[in-house]
Amino acid sequence: MHRLGGVGLAAFERQIESQRSFAELSSELSKAQVDHLHSQLTQFRTALSHFAATHRDSIRRDPAFRHAFQQMCSSIGVDPLAGPRKGGWWAEMLGLGDWQYELGVQIVDVCVSTRERNGGVIEMSELVRVVSKLRGVSSGVITEDDVIRSIKTLQPLGAGYEVIDVGGGKKMVRSVMKELDEDQAVVLSEAQSEGGRIVEDILVSRRGWARERARAALENMLLRDGLCWLDEQDESTGRSYWVPSAMRWDE
Amino acid sequence: MSFTTHTTRSGFLLPSIHSVPPFFTEQPNPTTQSQNISQWTRLILAYARHRRLFVLRLEDAETSGGDWDEVLRNERINRRVLPSHLSAIMESMITNGQAVYEPPKQTRAVLLYWRLPEEWAEVLHSWATDTANLNTILTFYEITDPPVPSPLSDIPITLLRRVIAVLAKTGRAQVISTGRTGSGEENEGVRFFSGGK
Repeated sequence: MHRLGGVGLAAFERQIESQRSFAELSSELSKAQVDHLHSQLTQFRTALSHFAATHRDSIRRDPAFRHAFQQMCSSIGVDPLAGPRKGGWWAEMLGLGDWQYELGVQIVDVCVSTRERNGGVIEMSELVRVVSKLRGVSSGVITEDDVIRSIKTLQPLGAGYEVIDVGGGKKMVRSVMKELDEDQAVVLSEAQSEGGRIVEDILVSRRGWARERARAALENMLLRDGLCWLDEQDESTGRSYWVPSAMRWDE
Repeated sequence: MSFTTHTTRSGFLLPSIHSVPPFFTEQPNPTTQSQNISQWTRLILAYARHRRLFVLRLEDAETSGGDWDEVLRNERINRRVLPSHLSAIMESMITNGQAVYEPPKQTRAVLLYWRLPEEWAEVLHSWATDTANLNTILTFYEITDPPVPSPLSDIPITLLRRVIAVLAKTGRAQVISTGRTGSGEENEGVRFFSGGK
C-alpha cells in the first residue's frame, strides 16, 4: 500500500513545511491587497478632499448642492461626521461639522423656546422658518433635509428629539420624551389642515373613527400630554381642541 | 388661518395669542393652565401700564362697557374671558405679588402692581426731587392731582400710602397728620427728604 506523502517522520516534516509555505504565501497576498486598498483609499480620500475643498463654498451655501454631496457620501458609505478628529471629516475639510452642530443648537433653541406654547411638538416648516429667522439672511438657506440631519446628530444626547411623519408629506419634530401613538399622529395631521382646530366630528367623518376613539385620543392629548388647548366657546360644537404646533403664528 | 397681532383703538398692540380662541378658556391640564395664566398676567399688566389702569374687577368680565373690554373680549373671534377664569388669573397674580386684593378681605377686585411699590417709591422720590418738593409738606391730593401731570397722576391713595411707607422705611419720607377736615376725614400730608438710599 502506498499512501500519498508516505509514512514516518519525514511525512510530518513535509506537512509542516508546506503549511508554512501556504501561510507565507497567504500573508504576502493579503499584504499586497491591504496595500492596494490603502493606496486606493488614499487616492479616493485625496480626490474627495480635493472636491470638497474646491466646492467648499457651494457646499456651505447651496442647499441643493449640499444635499447632493451628502447623498453621494452616504451612497459610497462615507459618513462625513465620522473621523479621527472632533467633528469628523467634515470639520477638517469644510468646517461643516461645526455648521451641523451649530444648526443643532439652533434647533434645540427653537424647540425649547416654543415648547411652552406647542407642548413640545413643532411642525417642520414652522421650525425651518423660525430657525432661518434666527440665523439671519447672510448665513445661507437651510432646508428640511439639513434639519433632519442635524436632529440625527442630536440623537446621542438622548433628549428625545425626533422627526415624526404625520402623513400627507407633513413632518413634525418632537422635542419631548413622549411617545406619540398613531392616533395622535392622525390628530396632528387633521388639525394641521384645519389651521389647528380639531373636533371629534372631523375625526369621525373623515377618518371613520368611532366617536369614543376620537374622544379618547383628543382627551388624552389635552389632559395627559398637554399637546392641545381646549376651547369651550366654540360656536358650532361648544367644545373644540386646538393644537398649537399645527397653528400658524405671526409674531 | 393665521394668528396675528392687533392694534386696539387705544393704540395697544395685542399679541398674536389674543386671537387664538382657546386662549379664552381655562385649561384642564395644569401645565397648559399655568402657561395660559402667565400669558394673561403679562397681557393684563402690559395693558394696565399702557392705559394707566390700577384696578381690575370681576365685573369687567361679567359686563361689557368697562375699561378692560379691549383685552378681556375679542369681538373678532367672538370670545371673552369668563369671570371664573378671570378670578383664577387674579388669584395667581396675588400669589406672585403682582397685585393685591383691594379692599382686602374680598376677592372681586384687585389693585394691580404693574410697578411694584418699591419701584413706585423711586418714581415718587425722584418726582419730589425734580419738582423741588423736598422738605416741604405735600398733601396726598397734591401728589395724585398735580397741576403738571406726573407719572403719579391718579395713583390710588391706598397704593400711594404703601409707596410712602416704603420711603419712610429708608428715612426718605415722613407721614404727617394735619388734623381733620371739615367733613371729618383725616387730612394727611407727607414730607420728603433727600436722604441717600
